[in-house]
Parts: sequence; C-alpha cells; structure tokens
Amino acid sequence: MKHRAQPDRDSAFGARRLGPAARLGSRSLQSFSLAVLFIAGASVALLWLVSLYGDALRDPRYLDGWILVAAISLQIGFHIAVKSIRLSPKAAAKWRKTHIFLGYALIAVFVSHCDFSLPDTGLEWVLWTVVVLIICSGIFGTYLSWSRQSKSGIEDWIAPDRIATRRAEIAQNVHATVTTSSPAAELALPTQPHDGWIMDLYSTSLAHYFSGVRNISAHLVGSHRPLKRLIDEIDALSRYVDPPGKNKLATIRLLVIEKDRLDSAAVHAALSKAWLFVHVPVTYALVVLTTLHVVMVYAFASGAW
Amino acid sequence: MAQHRWFTAIRVAQPHASIWSGLSRDRVAVLLAVVTIIGIAVAFVCAKNTSFLMPGPLTSAHGVIKNCSGCHSKSGTDKLTWVKGLMPSDPHADSKACLTCHKLPATAFNAHTASEAVLRPRTERIGKRSTSVTPPRSAVVQSVAFPTRDMVANGLNCASCHQEHRGVTSRLTTVSNEQCRSCHVLKFDSFDGNHPNFDSYPFKRRTRIIYDHAAHFEKHYPEVAKKDQTKRIPATCATCHNSNADKRLMAVAPFEQACASCHLDQIKGKERASGPKGIAFLTLPGLDLQSLAKKNAHIGEWPDASDAVLTPFMRVMIGRNDHGRNILKAIDTLNLQDLTTASDDQIRAVANLTWEIKTLFHALIAGKASDVLGDLNIGTGAKLSVSLVADLTASIPRDVLIRAQQQWLPHLAGEIADRNGTLSNPANSTAAVSSQPVPDKTDNRQSLPETSQRPADGDAVDGTTAATDDPQDGSERADTSSGAEREPTSDIERPIKRDPPACSVRVFGQCLVFNDQTDNEKTAASSKSASPSDADDADRKPEPPPNSKATFSTDSFPGAMRAGLKDVAQAAQGDTAPKQPPDPAGDQTDDLLVFTPEEARNQKSGVHAPSRADATSAPIDKTVGASTLPITASNTSAPIVSIASDIDGETWAEYGGWYGQDNEISYRPIGHKDKFLFAWLFLTGPQATKGDTSPAASVFNSLTTKDAQGSCTKCHSVDTLANNARVVNFSQASIETKQGRFTQFIHEPHFRNMDDSGCLTCHTLNKASAYSKSYEHGDPLKFASNFGAVKKDLCQSCHNTTMAKQDCTTCHTYHIDGVTTPITNTKNPIQ
Repeated sequence: MKHRAQPDRDSAFGARRLGPAARLGSRSLQSFSLAVLFIAGASVALLWLVSLYGDALRDPRYLDGWILVAAISLQIGFHIAVKSIRLSPKAAAKWRKTHIFLGYALIAVFVSHCDFSLPDTGLEWVLWTVVVLIICSGIFGTYLSWSRQSKSGIEDWIAPDRIATRRAEIAQNVHATVTTSSPAAELALPTQPHDGWIMDLYSTSLAHYFSGVRNISAHLVGSHRPLKRLIDEIDALSRYVDPPGKNKLATIRLLVIEKDRLDSAAVHAALSKAWLFVHVPVTYALVVLTTLHVVMVYAFASGAW
Repeated sequence: MAQHRWFTAIRVAQPHASIWSGLSRDRVAVLLAVVTIIGIAVAFVCAKNTSFLMPGPLTSAHGVIKNCSGCHSKSGTDKLTWVKGLMPSDPHADSKACLTCHKLPATAFNAHTASEAVLRPRTERIGKRSTSVTPPRSAVVQSVAFPTRDMVANGLNCASCHQEHRGVTSRLTTVSNEQCRSCHVLKFDSFDGNHPNFDSYPFKRRTRIIYDHAAHFEKHYPEVAKKDQTKRIPATCATCHNSNADKRLMAVAPFEQACASCHLDQIKGKERASGPKGIAFLTLPGLDLQSLAKKNAHIGEWPDASDAVLTPFMRVMIGRNDHGRNILKAIDTLNLQDLTTASDDQIRAVANLTWEIKTLFHALIAGKASDVLGDLNIGTGAKLSVSLVADLTASIPRDVLIRAQQQWLPHLAGEIADRNGTLSNPANSTAAVSSQPVPDKTDNRQSLPETSQRPADGDAVDGTTAATDDPQDGSERADTSSGAEREPTSDIERPIKRDPPACSVRVFGQCLVFNDQTDNEKTAASSKSASPSDADDADRKPEPPPNSKATFSTDSFPGAMRAGLKDVAQAAQGDTAPKQPPDPAGDQTDDLLVFTPEEARNQKSGVHAPSRADATSAPIDKTVGASTLPITASNTSAPIVSIASDIDGETWAEYGGWYGQDNEISYRPIGHKDKFLFAWLFLTGPQATKGDTSPAASVFNSLTTKDAQGSCTKCHSVDTLANNARVVNFSQASIETKQGRFTQFIHEPHFRNMDDSGCLTCHTLNKASAYSKSYEHGDPLKFASNFGAVKKDLCQSCHNTTMAKQDCTTCHTYHIDGVTTPITNTKNPIQ
C-alpha cells in the first residue's frame, strides 16, 4: 500500500521544533514587525490627538468616543460585507487586514476613553465588559489563526472538513501496516518476537491514538510533548526489530506525525468557530449599549466638546 | 505556496461554509442584542432614579448633589426626562446651574471671568511679544486642529476646565499648562523656557498709601531719632510688614502701630502752624446787609459781624434740592460780603439763601439729621442711611446747634413759622425784594416780621395753622420749616420718629410704665385742659379756638427752640401765657432751654416777656468768651451767667470734636479713621471730577488740599478714575484690592530663600526714584516705585525643571476675581 506520507511532511515536523521566528522566516518576521509598529504608531498618534483635543479646553472623551464609534461602525461594516457580499479572496484579505489593524489600534483609544482607569458604575461596567470581551476574543481569534497557520501549517494542504476523513484514512493505513505480514514470513521461518512487540504497541497505544482526536489540551497550548512521547516509543522499539519491522515502524511514525497535525488542525478549526460565537454576538450587544451611551452622553452634555 | 503572514491566517467564512453554523451564530447575536435591550429596559424600570446612568462618582465637594437636574438643567426629575437634553437650548444652561452656588461676576463665561475691557489691552500687549517667541510644535498643531478662538468668543463653559464624574478624589481645579496655553496668543514651553520677562512686577500701580521708604530711611527716621529718642523707629521691615493675616500679601501694620507716633498730631491739627485747625461745617456767612437793606431784601435777623463764608458742606446741604441748587447757581459768582453791584435777582437769591440756611438750622434742630439730610444729593442719589448721615455730621450734638441758634438766630423759630405762613401764599413764595426801603433796625439785624404784620390772607394763615399741632387727630407735627415750593421730602411733610420716653417700670425687659405721657396723651391732656369747664387745668396752655386760622402755636416747635420764641408766642396768644414751662424736660437737653426763674416769674405774674424790639435793643453781653459765639442780649430774656475762659473753642477741641467760634460751627478731626472726613471724601469723590465747581467737588477739594485739616491725603493717595471721578485710597493693598490680578505671590514660602540682605534680596531699594512725584497727578498707573522690579531670573533660579514647580497656576490665577460660595439663603423660621 502506498503511503500518503510525503518526505516534506517530515521536514515540516522537523521545522516545528525550531522557534516561531525561524519558522516564520525573515519575510514573515518583517511583516509582523511592520504590523506591530504600524499599530503602535497609530495608537500613539491617536492618543496624542486625544491629548491635544483635551488641551484645547474640550473633553477628550468626546473625541476618543467618536473615534471608537466610527471604528466600531467600520468593523460592523466588515461583518455586514462578509455576510451579504460575495467578496473576492483579495478583497476579503484586505478587509481582514483593515479589521485587524483597526481592532488593535482601537485598544489604545478605548483605554484612553476609559481615562486609563476601571469603570465606576454599573452601566459603565457592562459597557466596559462588553468591549473588553470583544477585544479579547478578537485577540484570541487572531492568535488562533496565526497559531494554526504557523504551528500546524495544515491550512494549505487540507481543508478543515477533510480532516475527519483523512484521520480515518490514516487510521486504516496504520492498521493495515501493522497487520500486514512481511515477505519473510512466507518462508515459514520461526516467528520473531519483535512482530508481537509492534502489535503490542498498536494495541496499547496506536489504536487509541488513531481512533479520534487526541491530546486536545496539548494542541490548545501548542505542546508537542504527547507526540514526542509516542515517537520516542516507536523509535526505541525500532532498534530491536528486523529491517521489515523497522520499515513498518518508520511508516507508522510518519502516520503518527500526520495524525497529530490533523488533530491540531481539528482543534484549531473548532476554536475558530467557537471564538466567533463570542466575538460577533457580543458586538451586537455593544451596538445597543453604544447607542444608549451616545444618547445619554449628549443628553447630559454640558457643552464641553 | 504557504502564506505565513499572520494576518492572512484568519479564515473568512466562505460561501461554502455550512449555512446552519452561520445562522446559529447570527441568531445568538440577535438574541444577545435583544437581551441587552430588555436588560436596559428592566434597569430603567427597576431603578429608583437615573443615578445609575452616571458615568462616575462626583467629587467629594459635589457628593451631596443627588439629583441629576441639580447640575444638568435640562434633565428633569423623571427617569426618561433626561432625553430632553438632546433638544437644542442655551449652551450655558448647565454652567449657569454652577453659578447658583459658585458666585461669579456677570462675565463668568469670559476667559478668566474678566471683562473684555480687561482682556483686550492685555491680549494686545502680550500679542506684540508673541512674534519673538517660537511656539512649541504641539501648540501649533493644537491651535490649527482644535482652535479655541470660537469657544472663547462664544463663552466658555465651566466644564471646559472642570470636568466632573471623575471620582470622589479627583481635583476639579487642576488645569494643565497646555490647557492654559491653548487660548493664549503667546505660546511658550515653560517658565524657565520662553516665558516672557517681567515688566515691572510686582508694581502695577503706585501704592495706595503714600509712604516714601527712601525718604523715611534717609531723612525722617534719623531726624526723629535725633529729636525724640522715645519715638519708635521701625527696626526691621517686619515691624511694619507681616504676612500673618493673609499669606498672599505683606500687610502693613495699622496706623496706630506704625505711624501714629509721628503723624497723629498732624491729623488732629496740633502741628498746624497757621490757619484754622477745625473744619468749618455750618456757618452764617457774612453778608452785605446794607446792600440787602437798600434793596429791601427781607432776610429776617442776621448777624452783621460775621466774616464766615458759606462752607462747601453747606453748599451740599443747601443744594440737596432744586430750589437750593438754583440759589447756589445764582450766587455762585457773588461776593456775599459785597452786594453793591448785585442785581435784583441775585439779591433775591441771597435772601433766599439766608432763608435756606435758617431753614436748615431749624430743621436740624427740629428733626433728626438723618431725616433732614437723608436726601443729600451726593452719592448715587439714593437716600442716605442714618448711620451715614451720622458720619457726615459727625453725630453733631443737637445742643451745639441749639446753642448756635440761640446765639446767632434767637428768633429763628418765629421767623420760620412766620415765613411758612407767608410761603403758603403762592404770591409770597420767594423772598421779597421791595423797592420800598424798610426801617433800619437798631440792633443792626434785619427785622423779624411782626406777628401783626403777618398776612391776614386766609390761605396763608391756614398754612400756618396747618403747621401747628393738630389736637384733633393727635398727630405731632415736627415743625413748619417747609414751604409750598419745597421738595416733598422736606421735614414738614414727613413724620418724624421720636425716641420712646424713658421707662419707669420694666419687667423682664418689657417696659410697663413710661416716665412721661405719650405725645398723644399730652395732646389729649392739652385738649382737656383747654375745656372751660375744667378749672383745675386752667393754668395749662389754652387750646386754640376752633377754626381760628390766625392762631399761632409754639407747641409746633421742639422745646429747645421755644426759648427764642416765647415772646412771639405770647404776642400771638395774648394774655393767655402759660404759667409753667411748656414742655417737659425730656425734649430739652440744655439748661438754657428751660425758663429762667425770672421768665417763670414774669409769666406767672402775667408780665409780658420783653418784646422782640426790646430784646434787640438790649445791650450785648460782653462776658462771653471773647472768641466763642457772641451772645447778644437779644438771645435771651434772662441774664446768662457765663464762665469766663481764655481758651477758645478751637483749642478747647484739641482732641477733636465740635466747637463754635466766629459764627461757625467747626469740627476738629478726632484722629485716624475719622468718620466725618471719611464719609465726606468717600461720598463726594465720585462726583468731584477735576475742575468741577459743584458743591460736592468743593467739599472734596477742600478736604484734599495740601493744607486740609485732617491731612488725609498726605498719606492716602487720590486716584482719578476713568470717568474723572476721584477716589481716596483709604485702604492699603488687601485681598480685595488684589482681586482682578492675574498673578499671585505668596511671600511666606520664600522667606527662607532670602540671602543676608533679607527683603532686599528681591526688593531693591531705589533711592533715586521720584516716588513722591507719582502722587502729583491722579493716574495711579504712572508712577515711580521705591523699589526695583523683581526679575524673572531671580524666580527662575528656583522655579525650573529640576527644583520648584513652574506650572502656570503656581503664580497665575484663572478666576481673577475669585469664586465665592455664598451661604444658603436660609429664611428665618418665622417667615
């Protein structure tokens, strides 16, 4: 049976042992740095603008408040556009960039609007909590996507809805590999004890491992410790088996790695859906609260804007 | 190819994504939005008030404010009425709510709460410097991006600088340097940077108290020390200056502590080498009686030996109504002691003047000074208070006036009564000037009209009668001094309040029995006594016959004035002379007012008192002090036993007060802060524009000349205001006078920073300055100070980035007139 495992996948696993920066490559690092600088610069500029506004005998909370309202409107516009308009991949990518940049820049404006302090009253706490939820979920979503992209690297070779199918295929392959006899067995030579060891390994570890998504918590935190433990076990066994056994274990080893990546992709795909269940609905609540907030502010305004 | 860009990692929901998952997320979103709306609605329903909408706690000072509408004027009291705040309305509505507790001037919403007249010149002056200073970039950006010009032009709100709902411990008064800079035309970075140098700080004007430090140090103190070592010479600056009372200024020690030892005698006039030491207040001015007689001017009696002049004070008092002002205007250019060239109109005016003076004397005796002078035409024209009139007359004792009247115008009461009868006839409403000569009187006085010569015209008599007591209604008439042409506020038309009689029996503070009968009781008793059937009261004054229009009663005058009137009264009443003094002693404060035993005997025996003609022909009693009021025989019917004294009135009043001398009633200042001088200077100053010849200006000028009694303006400078009015600076610099300044300085924290030269570290004595010359004019802003200006470098040696703070508000005040929080207007529980 032809193994679907490709040599470059091995190198991909090897790259995972390196640091994130190395994995991203110099171009990605540059892009990341530029993005961070851009957001930091935008934040500082906004804070300075708000400061100037306050110095001009005006209430700075009006300026940063309206910046927040405008930016939130733009973000909601992104959501509406995604929902209602069939965007081209290029346009969608631009929307995404704008959405994320704006989101991060708004953190500074929001902190400024809160006057660098925690809320004092109930209504303020509700509003503050909603905004913080949206910001945190947005940050988490960004991290999640970056993590899925950079750590797993499966975004480009398998679609999320193919993960389950592929996992089943791998499980079948492993099973087939373990149960298939080597050509030497046909010579009626005495049975080698190491064949039993491979079966034993399959029955005690591999069968369970390949039967579903495993090590979810490790994938959530990006840990490779469970995978490494299993690989080490396979490698240790391969020193005691004959060459056909070594080939089997090598094949199993590749499939274990691929299964791990599939699990990681599955976990990230699930989280991707989960965080949007926080990010989007809370944004709807924010719209309601913001509307009330703006009306209240102007109803009680004392003319200092 | 794999895209490892982090921002492309988000997987956008693609059309091929499962529809159910997207719908469920949207459903949750809509559901959460609905829940939020419901939650808000529930909050509004369940909340007791709208305080849950507050964006944060108020500062502790405002913590007691429970209702939003207390500050947010449009919010109302209901849970949803705050929505009305969205309606356009007065942008300063909420700021005006602040002013209900925080008192500010009408210019509250101007920058610095100052008027345009204050701001404009300063802005222009500072604007000229702005070209030499490079403004910080942030200031330039701010002025372009967020200009404040329109905000300031439309009026600033309180919340522009004082932003509430920032917590209990937040400081509402904190203002940043950048906020200050946003409005100013001169934008600089910091005090130790491009802050402009001081012009003449701290001297904005000449000192209010004229005190030449250099002259005192160099000349006066050494001379005094040489002359009299017991006199106290200030040893240090702190002898006269301290900052204990108010940290912001170095107050000058009070006069008694710092100045009295040398200057008190100057005020009292002890050191005056020449000229009168008192201020002539009331006089009978000397008149050209011969010319008046030739012109047949009817002025009644008048002393012929008077050299006195019409005092400025009398001018003010006479000019308190139109009639008086016309008289003064007519005689303005006249020399009253030489009327040979005067026209008939001027003679008439002089005659009217004499009657005005007499009326004034009469009114001051008959009524209270506050009733007579309450309408003095000085100040704002409002009626003067009793206390102020008391100050204006230095609480002149009534006895002084009575004494003078008895000596100078003994028949004043009759004259006034008679004149009132005459004046009631419109045809005789002004002083008569007849072409027929009148008989010359032997006593060189203008004759008092005979009672029999009084017009028999019914109207005139009615007027006289009306001016007397009216026993029917029991009302007491003060006097008859007002004529038909008088101002309606004259004393005759105004009830005069009398002090209550003394109490005989008092229980728990309540007087149960008075010493004397009330006036009504007296009147009733009088009426009763007049009854023919009541023989027991036969010796009482008879009641005037009903409807007797020609009846004249001396009862209309206070007892004090009846001394000179009894002959007239007796003439009017025939043989029904009273057998006892007509009035109780309660109205009489002078022994001279009580009938002498001889008078009493004469009355009892039915002998007529000496007629006026007899009286006027009697020899003058020369036993009276040589220079005091000359008492003539015409004054009294009985011989007066005087105590001879070689001390004249002026000397006698060495320690201040009233005295009579040479047809003048004069006043010597009693010391520093003399109320008489203060009141007159204070009231006449605003009307005493330079070059003005009004009575008020005459008073002011007479009291502010170099040789003026009291020497007030020797130390208290006189400022000419913008409207040419003048004001005497009685007070030294104080917190009140410091108001309106943009800069404040607190001395105390700086004392420990002085070097060995002490105060001179900052205030260098400028011996060569023309300090005294600064007071030769009225402009307080043109001056030369005794001390050099403080340099910015001196302040900057400490106030810089590394040492003391250099914020704008360290030295500068925003609300230049201060902000006061008045106490609540708590009404008395009885109201």
